Amino acid sequence: MTTISVADLRVSYGKRVVLDDLAIELGVGVHGLLGPNGAGKTTLMRVLATVLRPDRGEVRLLGHRTDDRVGVRQARRRLGYLPQAFGFYPRFTVREFVEYFAWLREMPAARIPLAVDRAIERVGLLDRADDRMKHLSGGMLRRAGIAQAIVNDPRVLLLDEPTAGLDPEQRVEFRTLLRELGLDAVVLVSTHLVEDVAAACARVSLVDDGRLVFAGRPEELIAAGGDGDSGDSPIERGYTAVLRGARQVSR
Amino acid sequence: MRRALWVELRRGTAPVAALAMFGAGVWVLAVHPDDWGGRWVGLADYLRVPLMVLCPLMVCAGAWQAGRERRRDIGELIAATPRPGWHSLVAAWLAVTLAGIAGLMVAYAGAAVLVARVATYDGGAWWQRASVGVLALAAASAGGVLVGRRVRLRVAAPIAGLATYVGLTILTYWNAPAARLSPADTVGSVYSLVPGWVTGLQATWLVALTVLLLAVAVRRWRVALLAGAVAIAAAVPINTAPSWYRAPADPAAVELVCTSSGPEVCLTRVNAFLLDEVAAVAQPILARLDGIPGAPRRAVDEAVRPPGDSVPEDADTVWLPLDFQATAFGDLANVDYLRWAFGQRAGGECAYSLHGEEFDQRIHQVDGIATDWLLGGSVLGAAGASAGLRELPPSAQRAWYADYLDAVGRCDLPALVRLAEQP
Repeated sequence: MTTISVADLRVSYGKRVVLDDLAIELGVGVHGLLGPNGAGKTTLMRVLATVLRPDRGEVRLLGHRTDDRVGVRQARRRLGYLPQAFGFYPRFTVREFVEYFAWLREMPAARIPLAVDRAIERVGLLDRADDRMKHLSGGMLRRAGIAQAIVNDPRVLLLDEPTAGLDPEQRVEFRTLLRELGLDAVVLVSTHLVEDVAAACARVSLVDDGRLVFAGRPEELIAAGGDGDSGDSPIERGYTAVLRGARQVSR
Repeated sequence: MRRALWVELRRGTAPVAALAMFGAGVWVLAVHPDDWGGRWVGLADYLRVPLMVLCPLMVCAGAWQAGRERRRDIGELIAATPRPGWHSLVAAWLAVTLAGIAGLMVAYAGAAVLVARVATYDGGAWWQRASVGVLALAAASAGGVLVGRRVRLRVAAPIAGLATYVGLTILTYWNAPAARLSPADTVGSVYSLVPGWVTGLQATWLVALTVLLLAVAVRRWRVALLAGAVAIAAAVPINTAPSWYRAPADPAAVELVCTSSGPEVCLTRVNAFLLDEVAAVAQPILARLDGIPGAPRRAVDEAVRPPGDSVPEDADTVWLPLDFQATAFGDLANVDYLRWAFGQRAGGECAYSLHGEEFDQRIHQVDGIATDWLLGGSVLGAAGASAGLRELPPSAQRAWYADYLDAVGRCDLPALVRLAEQP
């Protein structure tokens, strides 16, 4: 079932077009969003998170149009979002921070305490739940950010560079969590770490210069690469091969 | 909302606001206990006067709280949530406002305990006057929230606080009807009854202003328009009404309470908590005057002095200035100042009215002798002036004083000069 539907999307900052004529359909499962710096990944995430209004195009989340005031509010109730630049209130404890966002996501008050504990537990921060945010390490902060994103059991979860700052062990745990979340929600993970995509994602989309240049399964991306392509792993070679091909076509 | 409010109360700017307002409250109360000591209305009014300092603090706190999203780069995360922006803003404003007011109230509660021990009058709608002050603090934090939301400067909070202080100072001391819009304008005195419609209009003005500021902060233009209309509707009559600085006296507040024995000393009910101490000072002096023709026979609270009386002392009564005569504990603050109410200046005033600055300084001297004698030879600056007079027999001393009163009653300057040389 499609839960994210984007058609004819165009976004520009002033005269610079960042996303152009982009269309994407995403269903339940974990999706990787890859692309070089400046390709438009974060812009796409911001549009899907309903914090950036596109110049043109239609975006539907869980069937709700995001240019409709009522629709966007309903969609946001089932949306979880971790932006690339994750800000936080340093004096809040982890529990208070997640609780505050549960309130902002209009969760029923009676459900909040249990949901908060569950979200914190899922990111492995239960033993630090009552620590202030300012006392957490970079990786822990990122996990607290993920906890606030999943506290409302979102049907659409958008994670922009979620593994930045996580150590290898935490990344492995995070991939497990992603797979678990992807069982009944559409999870879109924007990342530079193609290994994360290969390990955790059912599908992958590759954006370059504001356009979608690849959409398929990780195995298909791996298959696109050859021995002559640069990269240390099969998926990296597939990644560079697809990018090179897309750029040759655009020339 | 309760959950978010509780978190904001503990983790937002609220605890700092509470502490700052408590400190400021203690400071303003400690600086001028004579303004509120022993009087409920005085304490309520004294919540209004320091608003020139307290409101800027609340503006600062509100601005700092509202600028937090930008400082912490969390706006995008919040923008992706469904809850309308005004919910979190109101929670944040409410937390700062409640905490600030609570901090101040703790300080004032301490003062209230001291007042409650001794106060002799609890009317005067003091709680209404105090409520307007509390509403002003809420409006101030709303103003801060607007600044914090809309001004991207990191130093917006202190600048807004300073601007509020300057603005309120100008507004309060500006001799124009607009000054009445300042919450620091106390309207009446502890002896007057401020009409209910005045406090009602001021409360309406401040509530509407609060809603207007918050609505503009969250760009709720229709609500802002409505609140703006109500604010103007309240502000116009406040500005155009006849001056209420001559608010009618509160009959119950100025009702006299008098001593039951000895020479009569009467204070208003508001100041009656000082009666024993004032009587201890005034009665020995009045006793000294007993039987002297033309001498005052009683001492009365100056608050009931008839308006337009240009003669400092009439034949019968000494007026006692008690407005700033109470300590925080409800004691008499300055005995010498009270004794000085019995001081004699009539000779000098007679001479001045007849000759301007050029008159025989012995007339001042005779005033000093009379005062020193009356107050028992301990007058600051004139101590010992009556030493010669005191060496005379008691009956001669009283005769000299009677002659003095007779001479000043007639403004007989040669007679006053003679009296100065006589003892």
